[in-house]
Amino acid sequence: MSVDQHADHDVIKHRHRSEGPQKHIIVFIFSIILTVIAFATVAAGGVNATFTVILLLIMAILQVFMQLGYWMHLKDKGHLMPILFMIFGFFVAGTAVIMALYWVWW
Amino acid sequence: MTSHAETVNGELPHEPEKATLEGRNKILSFWLFLGGEAVLFGTLFATFLALRNQTNDGPTANELFQLPMTAAATLILLVSSLTSVFAIQAMHKHKVAALRVWLMVTVVLGLGFLGLEIYEFAEYVTAEKFGMTTSAFSSAFYTLVGFHGAHVAFGVLWISVLIGQLYKKGLTVVTAPKVYVSAMYWHFIDVVWVFIFTVVYLLGKVG
Amino acid sequence: MAHAHSVKRHKGLMDWLTTVDHKKIGILYLLAGGLFFGIGGIEALLIRLQLIKPMNDLVSAQTFNELITMHGTTMIFLGVMPVIFALMNAVIPLQIGARDVAFPFLNSLGFWTFLFGGILLNLSWVMGGAPDAGWTSYTPLSTNTYSTTHGVDFYTIGLQIAGLGTLIGGINFLATIITMRAPGMSFMRMPMFTWTAFITSAMILFAFPAITVGLVLLTFDRILGANFFEVANGGSPVLWQHIFWIFGHPEVYILILPAFGVISEVIPTFARKRLFGYSSMVFATILIAFLGFMVWAHHMFTTGLGPVANALFSISTMLIAVPTGIKIFNWLFTMWGGQVRFTAANLFAIGFIPTFVMGGVTGVMLASAPADYQFHDTYFVVAHFHYVIVGGLVFGLFAGLHYWWPKMFGRVLNETIGKWEFWLFAIGFHLTFFVQHFLGLMGMQRRIFTYLPNQGFDTLNLVSTVGAFLMGVGVLLFLFNTILTATKPKGVANDPWEDGRTLEWTIASPPAEYNFKQIPLVRGIDAYWKEKMAGNKEMTPAEPLGPIHMPSPTILPFVMSVGIFIAGLGMMFSKEHFSNSFMSLIFNNWIVVIIGLLITFGSMLLRSLFDDHGWHIEVEELEEEGVKA
Repeated sequence: MSVDQHADHDVIKHRHRSEGPQKHIIVFIFSIILTVIAFATVAAGGVNATFTVILLLIMAILQVFMQLGYWMHLKDKGHLMPILFMIFGFFVAGTAVIMALYWVWW
Repeated sequence: MTSHAETVNGELPHEPEKATLEGRNKILSFWLFLGGEAVLFGTLFATFLALRNQTNDGPTANELFQLPMTAAATLILLVSSLTSVFAIQAMHKHKVAALRVWLMVTVVLGLGFLGLEIYEFAEYVTAEKFGMTTSAFSSAFYTLVGFHGAHVAFGVLWISVLIGQLYKKGLTVVTAPKVYVSAMYWHFIDVVWVFIFTVVYLLGKVG
Repeated sequence: MAHAHSVKRHKGLMDWLTTVDHKKIGILYLLAGGLFFGIGGIEALLIRLQLIKPMNDLVSAQTFNELITMHGTTMIFLGVMPVIFALMNAVIPLQIGARDVAFPFLNSLGFWTFLFGGILLNLSWVMGGAPDAGWTSYTPLSTNTYSTTHGVDFYTIGLQIAGLGTLIGGINFLATIITMRAPGMSFMRMPMFTWTAFITSAMILFAFPAITVGLVLLTFDRILGANFFEVANGGSPVLWQHIFWIFGHPEVYILILPAFGVISEVIPTFARKRLFGYSSMVFATILIAFLGFMVWAHHMFTTGLGPVANALFSISTMLIAVPTGIKIFNWLFTMWGGQVRFTAANLFAIGFIPTFVMGGVTGVMLASAPADYQFHDTYFVVAHFHYVIVGGLVFGLFAGLHYWWPKMFGRVLNETIGKWEFWLFAIGFHLTFFVQHFLGLMGMQRRIFTYLPNQGFDTLNLVSTVGAFLMGVGVLLFLFNTILTATKPKGVANDPWEDGRTLEWTIASPPAEYNFKQIPLVRGIDAYWKEKMAGNKEMTPAEPLGPIHMPSPTILPFVMSVGIFIAGLGMMFSKEHFSNSFMSLIFNNWIVVIIGLLITFGSMLLRSLFDDHGWHIEVEELEEEGVKA
């Protein structure tokens, strides 16, 4: 293909940003903190089980959002299609998980 | 002729991975592929969740898992995700040497993670008598965590090949999208691991 | 500026093995799909022959099980899917004004992987027994306990490989449609067939990974002794049903949406009117796809999900009738007041509408969970899904093949024979399947190899078998038509139907290797029709004439697929007891698997290490060809 024939610039936005590592290190530290909270809650034990499950899931989802957004640049402009497809991928994955939790029995 | 590799010699753009239509297509399609991978791992997680209590008189999650080992694996993979961010930043600054070093660090950390996982599996099989055929829980555990491990192994091989290409061809508008996409893949592996340590290991401990 | 690289031009067979041209890959898909469609059709006729009279003993019960399994599996995965991909390959890049797909290499890889998966699956007939657990391969019927041949292994591994090819193809078309549209062609200016191809590809992307996991789990159960579906060790057979249908229901929409797209192209062209309610068509397509992922458990009403789940899935299933109804009315309104021409393509398209509506109506009946307890596993279900898949999809495919045949091959199919095809096929179809509704309501179960006389089944089964052979004659006539047409000289006009509305009719039939000499500028929906109405003979180019960069032909996709094929065979027989010591050495030690994977990954490595610089078609060459044409 010799010619750029993209109709709208879904994927492409030439943005000249000279970002430093600070932002990513902050995301890293946040990830570590979230992970430590999760591990510490389980290691400490004695916490209400339902509460623990909810807390752990929130920690995991927060961490995943940050990594998808910053490390994989989903929050940057020009990522409409990737965001749509990732959302729907997680949606289908979610239906599979709901299936496993509620509609499989012995 | 913006898309043809050889016509863009000389000045490399700020984001060389997005300089050509091929490069942009590659990145977009890799996102689409990751959407599919989300369903793949989602189904594996679903299988694991459905079968997690079917231990068939074999070891249970609570008996098996040791948090320190999982924490170590998590730390390794998290750091490797950060090093691949640094690799991409080096690439955007056109520092090929730094790029290669960061990729190498990522590979070494990936190998460390794999070593830990193999050690863990071997321990389960020999010491705990917990193999693929022990119970439905064991089958689901090995398949889910093993699929992730296989992804890590493939990523290690892939990034290693790319390091070689960076030595041979340098940073061009052809090699840059490959590096970028492999970094996306590596981040995604880390994202999946976040769910694995939460759902498999930590929730397994909670019971 | 660009300089030409020397490119090795292959001839004959090597040209087809190495091609990365979407038009040739489309023809390859059509050939492969036609082959498997023929095999599946013969299996169907054998099934009908066995059921022609009560207590028939033409085939044994075991063979009958193999026939129904392979008929369903072959038709769905290897028969109609590749014909859909054939049309998508032949048409999509032309409709969006692109010179090729986004990834020509992957396009070729997708085809060869699919083909070798299909071949592997069909090898089962000569390698110790075909799969016999139904196309759904429900556990525990398909586990080692009840299925002792390698049949189900061929199913799991063959489908795994073919599915990989389909997934690759889906991603490729998504990227193509997102990034390669001509200037001016926004999403809401895309032809409907492109829209449905886009949505179908998205559904492939999200549905196929689920079946990949399901097949892996079943393979692990059968070969590695895992316990996913082994009840005795804690496994759950219901889990297989869920995973299969989380894939399986989207799969039937993957099949039908492209047919909707074809109908939405054929009807406006032959009615000389623009498609009624374009934006509602787009919206309905997206809605059907979305709902398609939330209805899977309606296949499992009788497993005992409970009233809450059954009610939820019942309602979501019935909801799908709404967007589908929108489409039906839009097609009717498109024809309303149009100058309708009844060409063979249009006959199939118009025949599609009432036939598909009938399938949709029985669908709503089946969606009602209490009623489904009566219908479940009877011939009523068989009638329903053949009405939507044959009466819907296959009619649509025939319409599309007649419509785009001149664009693919440069020759128009014979219209008279085409009309005979339609009437024979349509009458045969309704004879075969209409009576099956009543057989089902009378209590005839599906998947039984014979039945006792005097239950009221005899006459209707005979009628059904006669109808099946009429359909067979219709298909043979189509085959004859294609052969007859191939003997005629090439050279139809760019726009043989004279009322073409979309970009594919602005270029030669068949198009030059590079499709568009200059990428066209799109100024509205039905871009070509818009120019025609403005009095223009051709599209306004969006770029000056320049050298065109083309990808090089390569044998690597073929080799990679061979590697996967070898690895699949090795995997399947890894636990086999061979009398030959050499065979047991290489199979039981996974050596064959390793060799196969080495071939595949080695080819991948070669592809990565050696950049494809492609080659150029120079301006002088383009101008020369312009003079010739």
